[in-house]
Amino acid sequence: MLQTLAQAVVNGLLIGGIYALVSIGVTLIFGVVKIVNFAQGEFVMIGMYLSFFLATRAGIDPLVSLVIVMPVMFVVGMVFQHVLIRRVLSLGDMPQIFLTFALSVLLMNLALLLFTANYRTVQTPYTDASFHIGGVYISVAKLIAFILAMVFSGALTVFLRTTDIGKAMRAAAQNRDVAMLMGINTDLVFAVAVGLALALAGAAGALLMPFYPVYPTVGQVFVLMAFVAVVLGTLGNVTGALIAGLMMGIAESLGIQFVGADSGLIVVFMLLLLTLAFRPSGLFGGRAR
Amino acid sequence: MADVLVVRNLDKRFGGLRAVADLSLSVEEGQTLALIGPNGAGKSTSFNLITGYFRPDSGSVLAFGRELVGLEPYDICAHGLARTFQVARPFGKMTVLENVMTGAFLRDKKVRAARERAREAIAFVGLSAKEETPARDLTTIDQRRLEMARALATEPRILLLDEVMAGLNHTEIDQAVALVGQLAKRGLTIVIVEHVMRAIMAVANRIVVLDHGQKIAEGLPQEVVANKEVIEAYLGTGAHA
Amino acid sequence: MVKKAAPVIVLALIALILPVFLRTGFEIDIAVRVLLFAFIGVAWNLMGGYAKQLSLGHAAYFGLGAYTSTILLIKFGVSPWIGLIAGGIVAMLASLPIGWLCFRLRGPYFAIATIATAQVLMLLFLKFRDFAWGAEGTTIPFLGNAPLMMQFSGKAPYYYIALGLLAIGLVVTWAIERSWMGNYLVAVGEDEDAAEAVGVNAPRIKRDIYLISAFLTALAGTFYVQYIYFIDPNTAFSFNVSVEAALVSIVGGIGTLWGPVLGTILLEPTSALLQSLLGASHGGVQLTVYALILIAVILWRPTGLLGLITDAYRRIVRADG
Repeated sequence: MLQTLAQAVVNGLLIGGIYALVSIGVTLIFGVVKIVNFAQGEFVMIGMYLSFFLATRAGIDPLVSLVIVMPVMFVVGMVFQHVLIRRVLSLGDMPQIFLTFALSVLLMNLALLLFTANYRTVQTPYTDASFHIGGVYISVAKLIAFILAMVFSGALTVFLRTTDIGKAMRAAAQNRDVAMLMGINTDLVFAVAVGLALALAGAAGALLMPFYPVYPTVGQVFVLMAFVAVVLGTLGNVTGALIAGLMMGIAESLGIQFVGADSGLIVVFMLLLLTLAFRPSGLFGGRAR
Repeated sequence: MADVLVVRNLDKRFGGLRAVADLSLSVEEGQTLALIGPNGAGKSTSFNLITGYFRPDSGSVLAFGRELVGLEPYDICAHGLARTFQVARPFGKMTVLENVMTGAFLRDKKVRAARERAREAIAFVGLSAKEETPARDLTTIDQRRLEMARALATEPRILLLDEVMAGLNHTEIDQAVALVGQLAKRGLTIVIVEHVMRAIMAVANRIVVLDHGQKIAEGLPQEVVANKEVIEAYLGTGAHA
Repeated sequence: MVKKAAPVIVLALIALILPVFLRTGFEIDIAVRVLLFAFIGVAWNLMGGYAKQLSLGHAAYFGLGAYTSTILLIKFGVSPWIGLIAGGIVAMLASLPIGWLCFRLRGPYFAIATIATAQVLMLLFLKFRDFAWGAEGTTIPFLGNAPLMMQFSGKAPYYYIALGLLAIGLVVTWAIERSWMGNYLVAVGEDEDAAEAVGVNAPRIKRDIYLISAFLTALAGTFYVQYIYFIDPNTAFSFNVSVEAALVSIVGGIGTLWGPVLGTILLEPTSALLQSLLGASHGGVQLTVYALILIAVILWRPTGLLGLITDAYRRIVRADG
């Protein structure tokens, strides 16, 4: 029994790393640009397809493809911010929500048109490899994904804390007007924030490819987890998103193990509703009104 | 004359900062009380505490004998306490008339009656010509006028004005002072937060001075402006020049 | 007063005699869908357009309405006409706890929470094999021409019922718009805190408009089951319904009386046409086009296209002197 529990926790933790990565991207954009990116999951999907085609057409291992996918997605992010987001920044909640939402629908359905709904997978030497520690099986592919996800998350946190532009981002997140007055180029800061968030999404995609199939709507599950994690971890809080992302993974895994095979989502939703009911500002405090 | 607004031992901390420290004050019916103090003294926070936007950590606020602490802003307004915001917050999409009608609807849900009452308030602040203008197209000053008209339309017995004179020029200050004076003549109890001393001396019956969240002086205008501590609070002591 | 009513009267007359001119079942079907989704859009618009509470989970109420009337019909033989009201009541009751939960969040997070609630309902109904047929859903018993049980042999009656629903929705919106409630809704939508400062009980009015919006949306759900003779969780709680409810209002004119109608007239026939031209071979075309249209509208005319028409109309009226 304990073994099953341990296995479920480990599995959940490993996938939680990916959830954390996606969640951090969402919370970063929300914190800095004050926009909820409904399309974050679709950028994970794009990262996955990119990685998939690099693997099948050019024989590049998904983990190696990170070197290509992340910079590409970073640039995509900056373009996204400059071309689309910038236009709706002053328009208020509704246009902002519907813009990223429409983009999400667009990307999903374009993928459907271009790639069909078929599941695509990539086989790597380590796809099926796993090892044994104290009665618990650990999938090598998932472990690598988890470790790298943590590395990237950590790198981002360090970046935000120590670099000038990272600090500028945190400043803009706290008070956009004052940041502008202090000479911070908010446009550039936003572009970098979105770029980083999308790079993380792309990374998540590449990390997933060795053990997860890609199909047009794959992003939906991840973005859902991310949204719950972001709320739970307090909006805009990167560390919070990280921790909550890991918790999501574990919660889902426990749900699947102990409630039912299709109950992972329900458990997550229940978590969201519970959070809303009792701690709407998330685990890490935050503003009341 | 009875004290219609009584604030007792109001306290509020934000994290480590004690924004309002053990504040007590009272206002008689029909009086105009000015709340002054250097920036960051806690004036707007006090307003927010009184009108229900923040919950105080301790203390009580009585308006006409009714405890306001713990009530929602809309209930406080219904009890007769209205406020304006430091930065005007008009309903941009709506016209001036519609904005003020929102306030008027508090007392009477019938459209015709509300419209009449709204028109009165709009006439009082001098915005009648712009009745049909969308609020977002107004100048900042007109938006302030709108703010006041909207608050007046709720038929308050106590009105809290938050820095209505900020950024006004000489003539505009005179106009604003005249408006406040007329409200006082109607018997309205007014609490006004202000920096413009000229205006304060013209309208205030009594002044309360705040500094670092604490009341440091209170009394008639002539007394307060001569008070040494008050002068120091504004200008700083000689050593920190 | 007569001048203002004139275009409405003309529209109403056109709507009333339209079925005479529609030859094929396909055409009438489009007309029915236009009316139905305009109605759903109008119901959504009360909340999302006026009060700016952007729900992307209205399918929850659509589905609750659909399932309530169907369960009453199949298990208890109750006429869908009664089921219509029952479904509305169930939806209203559901909107209370859902609203209580979701209104704690502002802006986009409210939207996410509403998506979550519709999804939870879908997941629950997918599992409820005992009392709601689970994932396979069910068809409703075919009764031929049975007006008392909301089944008709021709398509025209369905058209008129949908028209009736739309009319109800428009009348309700019109009445609210010109009353204190309409004023309060827009105030809350513009600036909730400022509204509260002048005495608007924002939580209560959000709750009340949600009740109305949920009720109306549920009526559409009941009608839809009767129209397509089938129900399953994926159709009833379909995310597409939630999206379209919001979409037609945004494209047509958010927070306006006729906006959703305009939006549906533009979008529904387009989508039906695309569906028939490209259909199954190109899944995803419809939504791609919808998404592109939505993005275009947001970037170019975020308040919706109705403004264009009213401007043009005003220009024409003025030109006539």
